[in-house]
Amino acid sequence: MAAVTAEVREAVVKRRGHPSSHGQARFGFAMIGLSVLFVAVFTAIPIVASLGLSFFSWDVISTPEYVGLENYQRLFTDGPVLKSFGVTLGMALAIVVLQLTIGLGLAVLVNQRKLVWVRTLFRTAFYLPLLASTAAVSIFMGYLFDYKFGVVNYYLNLPGISNVPWLTSGFGAAATIVLIAVWQQIGFTFVLFVASLMSVPTDVLEAAQIDGAGGFRTLFRIKIPLISPTILFAAVVALINAMQLFDQPYIMTKGGPGSATTTVTIQMYQKGFQNLQFGYGSAIAIVLLAAILVITGLQFLAARKLVFYQ
Amino acid sequence: MTGMNPPGGSLARRTLLKAGAGGLGLAALADLAACSKDGGGSSKSLKMLYFGEQAQATQLQNRLQPQISKLDASIKFEISAINGTDWNDFLAKVLTQIAAGTPPDIISVATEGLQLMASKELAVPLDDYVTKDLDALKEYFADIHPALVESMMYQGHLWELPDSFNAGNMFYSTGLFQRAGVVPPSADWTLDDFETAATKIAKFKGINAFGWVVRLWGSWTSFMYANNANLLEEGKYDGGDWLWNKAYAGDAAAAGRKGGWKWGAPTANSDATVEALNYMIELTKKGLSPSPDVGGGGTLQGLFASNRIGMSIGGGFWAGGLTNAGMKNGSFDVTMFPKWKSQRHLFGAGGYAIFKSSKKKDLAWEVLKLLVKPETFDLVFPGNVTTPGRKSLVTAARYAKTGPKHWSVFYDTLTKHPDTAPIPAPPYYNALATALNQRTTQAISSGNAKAALDGLQSDLEKAAGAS
Repeated sequence: MAAVTAEVREAVVKRRGHPSSHGQARFGFAMIGLSVLFVAVFTAIPIVASLGLSFFSWDVISTPEYVGLENYQRLFTDGPVLKSFGVTLGMALAIVVLQLTIGLGLAVLVNQRKLVWVRTLFRTAFYLPLLASTAAVSIFMGYLFDYKFGVVNYYLNLPGISNVPWLTSGFGAAATIVLIAVWQQIGFTFVLFVASLMSVPTDVLEAAQIDGAGGFRTLFRIKIPLISPTILFAAVVALINAMQLFDQPYIMTKGGPGSATTTVTIQMYQKGFQNLQFGYGSAIAIVLLAAILVITGLQFLAARKLVFYQ
Repeated sequence: MTGMNPPGGSLARRTLLKAGAGGLGLAALADLAACSKDGGGSSKSLKMLYFGEQAQATQLQNRLQPQISKLDASIKFEISAINGTDWNDFLAKVLTQIAAGTPPDIISVATEGLQLMASKELAVPLDDYVTKDLDALKEYFADIHPALVESMMYQGHLWELPDSFNAGNMFYSTGLFQRAGVVPPSADWTLDDFETAATKIAKFKGINAFGWVVRLWGSWTSFMYANNANLLEEGKYDGGDWLWNKAYAGDAAAAGRKGGWKWGAPTANSDATVEALNYMIELTKKGLSPSPDVGGGGTLQGLFASNRIGMSIGGGFWAGGLTNAGMKNGSFDVTMFPKWKSQRHLFGAGGYAIFKSSKKKDLAWEVLKLLVKPETFDLVFPGNVTTPGRKSLVTAARYAKTGPKHWSVFYDTLTKHPDTAPIPAPPYYNALATALNQRTTQAISSGNAKAALDGLQSDLEKAAGAS
């Protein structure tokens, strides 16, 4: 052990002494420094400042007034805000479940195609919506799903199906927004799953085939366990994104009808930027952050039993 | 988009990054709070905020610059446009600019934001300036209806010089009316006449008789006004005699005017208000009206222009809007809002205020006077995109190209219906607008106006208490 330590020390001393290693080290520190600066300016400082602001009452114009935990006390007795947490969680779970199952299903189907160009074509096609601006997509979808004048209902009318209140009923609006979010985000999980499925060792699949395992058994007993770390990653990222759902409901329904699609981030925007309650808005942001941390933690706890690392 | 970090990688950072993003704006504002006390444009510029497109603002800025240069050759006039679906979007962005330490010298604000701005003392009262220049402004006040001026007062002070307004009249498609065999409505038509016309028009497949949007101005709130109801108790602040006695002496239309509208306790679930919203629900159930959108009404104008809607609430701005959307002169017309318990209309006015933080208030005042001159109106609002506040500008010549044929309805709303009043926009307008939007869509979706308006009442009570 002592000999190994001495060898390492000697190597480090040698490297330190080499002129090019100094340059590399400086470059490395510069790169790390940039990341640290970026995280500090755009993440850490805002979070700390937001946390600080959540203990104040501030309308942008007047001097902030310290109110202690008042904003948090108010939050936990504010029915509409609490409801928005429920709405957000419900929509987020639906988005994650659909995004993972559909994304995985499509990835499995595409992965079975032998021709490379077919796989490339599908990968591109499913990934494209992710590149479109969410605001533009939301405006466009708002027109498509309009109750009276939308194209979707127009085509449903042709075989005699009556108009569907896509965005004008509580459940309809939530479901439509979930579907649109899934449609737009599915490319991300799909590409992850395709890449992950391609990395499943062929010898394992061949062994399963020799043992007589069919397609479904191979998928559920071999492939899914082997790509379970990717599934966990996709689930965590998708849930974090979905918990911050804002653009689609804000643009398409303004959180309505009623408060059926009023997510936490919409509440935060309304309280902070529209009602000039920046302290309260910050408190909502902090509680949302805490909620995401807790849920992510639960996902990792569950992963201990469900995720298989090779 | 989401990054593609390996599983188990930088999740804590990612979690913080994602969830903290929402707090970023709020936090950044906190850092900049100290800057909000100072401001106005730089020493060489005079800055104005304007609700609209930047291209239009730049065009206006270039057109006005020569006249501003005559006032002070060293000053560069800068107009920044702020875009949004409605005034609450505009006001939220204005306040963000103020928090960022870049308040303007002049701001163009409609009724929606007047009391918010005045109550927060973001602007300065114009009383002293007006008093000082009253002789020069007599021609202006003689041309502006006192209802518009009163709507720009708050707690006895005048905060803005109005230059435009829009009352909630009823626009209709002449083609669809003719096709349905409906006689064009007279100015004194009733709600029954309205529904009869709507029923005939709705018989055409793909056509909706009446379209509307969810917002404070010209929404179901027009029906509420015609039903002699309101969302808030109506009252007026004392004061204003300094103006009425001098600028409007002897003007019958100024009789009873006071120091601005005082919006009191919420009355959102009063019987008459519930009745008005129920009427809208019934229109929807009968197939006479589609479920409304929330927002500024651009889509509605598009549908109207493509003859998919027979009638809608609009003000003078609809003349320009429909023309821009491709409608020919004569293919639409306007009349008064139908009579229910009364024929009371609502309106919103637009005007200009001087920011308290401006270091060039005297120059800003000179620019305000320039902005309300008759010859400036069409530079600011080309193409009938609003109704002139000056009666002398509401002429046949103005509407000769765009229509409507009965353009005189716009100003007649003020002169022939003296009970016409501004929209209820208290200092907590933004909270009111948000709650109104949510509760209206709730009512239309559930079909239960009473429950929705009980909720609105509660929302407004909380908002009023917090303001």
